[in-house]
Amino acid sequence: MRGYLVKRLFAGILTVFIILTVNFIIIKIAPGDPIKTLMGKEHDNPDLRSALEEKYGLDKPLSAQYLIYLKLIFSGDLGVSIIYNRPVTQMIYEGLKPTLLLTLISTTFALLIGTSFGIIAARKEGSLFDVVFSGLAYLFNATPSFWLGLMLIILFASKLKWFPAYGMSDVRTSVTGLRYLIEVLRHMILPVSTLILIQIPSYFRVAKSSILQVKDEDYIMTLRAVGMSEKMIFNKYIFKNAILPIITLVGISMAYMITGVALTEIVFSWPGTGKMIVSAISQRDYPVLMGVYLVASVLVAIVMLAIDLVYVAFDPRIRY
Amino acid sequence: MKIKTIQKIINSDLQLRLGCYGILFLISIVTFSNALATHDPYYFGPYFLSGIGENGHVLGANQLGLDIFSMLIYGARTSLVIATVSAMISGILGICIGGFAGFCGGRVDQIVSEIINGLMMIPVFFLLLLIIALFGNSLFNVIMVIGLTTWTGNAKLMRSQVLSLKERTFIVGARSIGENGFQILFRYILPNGMMPVIANTTLIMSNAILLEASLGFLGLGNPYVISWGQMIYAGKSYVGTAWWISVFPGLAIVVTVTILYLLSDGLNHVLNPKYINRKSG
Repeated sequence: MRGYLVKRLFAGILTVFIILTVNFIIIKIAPGDPIKTLMGKEHDNPDLRSALEEKYGLDKPLSAQYLIYLKLIFSGDLGVSIIYNRPVTQMIYEGLKPTLLLTLISTTFALLIGTSFGIIAARKEGSLFDVVFSGLAYLFNATPSFWLGLMLIILFASKLKWFPAYGMSDVRTSVTGLRYLIEVLRHMILPVSTLILIQIPSYFRVAKSSILQVKDEDYIMTLRAVGMSEKMIFNKYIFKNAILPIITLVGISMAYMITGVALTEIVFSWPGTGKMIVSAISQRDYPVLMGVYLVASVLVAIVMLAIDLVYVAFDPRIRY
Repeated sequence: MKIKTIQKIINSDLQLRLGCYGILFLISIVTFSNALATHDPYYFGPYFLSGIGENGHVLGANQLGLDIFSMLIYGARTSLVIATVSAMISGILGICIGGFAGFCGGRVDQIVSEIINGLMMIPVFFLLLLIIALFGNSLFNVIMVIGLTTWTGNAKLMRSQVLSLKERTFIVGARSIGENGFQILFRYILPNGMMPVIANTTLIMSNAILLEASLGFLGLGNPYVISWGQMIYAGKSYVGTAWWISVFPGLAIVVTVTILYLLSDGLNHVLNPKYINRKSG
């Protein structure tokens, strides 16, 4: 048990280092000369160049630059945004809250709806319910989130005018307290529905296939032969064993959503990290771009690690 | 005889059958795009934002007078080229690296597996954004990034295949008559263990199409190439007035990706001995 934990932790740390290194390599091989940008394009003074290089440590060998880079990252310094002139760490901190709000709410709903539908479909394999929802799962699995979001906007915001199409609150009215909460909820319905619809198919498929798999195991046959009721077999044995792959999926999906939510945020102008990264791209705000990528990657690594630990707690067979 | 066997396999599974028909459909669209398109997809016509069926535009025209239907037909080319080439890169890398790691075993296998696990956690989409933003949005870059970031799943599959094949009797037999390691790996193990990787590569093709569409939607697509993602991006500003600009390319993506999913599932079904047993028994 202890050895397994240490191994997982080590793998997590390794991942973070791989991510940091990939990031460093990308910055290094990217086209463009930062010193030239700082000096101005028309200006080419060798003295100024060497002075600037010394100031930013660019005259040092690559290995030393890499160490400086790691030191800065671990002290929480992700640089300053070129456009807004604010620390990147602070900007990300503000953007993470709306993103996590969307991610957590939609993942919870998708998990509940997708899993329960998957279980029903598996118990009635071949029924109309199974056929219809398996078909729908195929289609929604293939639907790009941003397009689905646009379709919801066309239908519910543009034609029916039921919900607002963009933002997190109405900027024209400044309300506080409970009314602000209702306002945010109203704005949240369309983006959250998009994300739920996009995520349901994977839960549905995994739940269905893992139940079908467990159903054919020999020990279930034995229980049936002994004469235990189907309901009891399902509640006590099938469900418990089939739920494990779903836990893994929650982890993968949470990790994926941290970045995957970006496109939906853009469609609905939701003020999260995803929207931040896209405006950073169009404004060539590299520190923000790098920062968000880094934070998202590290978050993904942490979530994966946490899921591994939960998995151990749920499945007594896993003891490496 | 051989064709008949293939036909029988295809007919045995619904998903595989649908997927195969779908692929034929897509390939014929790409092959006969010149004949199918009603307009030149690069021609800026005089009828801006015409609706469905108006002024000879079957599925309407966009804000620049370009014909949506013809753009859809030509967009299929872009999507399929990106999907095929990047999935091939990913498949070849996965087969080679995974096969090598599984075949060597021991330390090498451990190190490669840990690196693969690490790489698997990198969010591909953000990496793609970063690289496209820094290095430009040529098709080559998009294909390379998708190919170079998705091989890890293939490598894992291939590795487990090799691990199980390595101890089979026919491999041990080949070794005993004195064939060397690489001969065994390339002549016996890889061809026998490749099928699940191919099924997974089909899945990667569909993901590549979705990734490319996302890039196009963010305005990071290559403006000299017609792509479905960019068509949706262009239609975003007209959702209230001209919905057809964004609706149809999205539907095209859904159909194409569904076909690839069906194909991948079908291949997995046919290749899984457990499934065949269940059908016959």
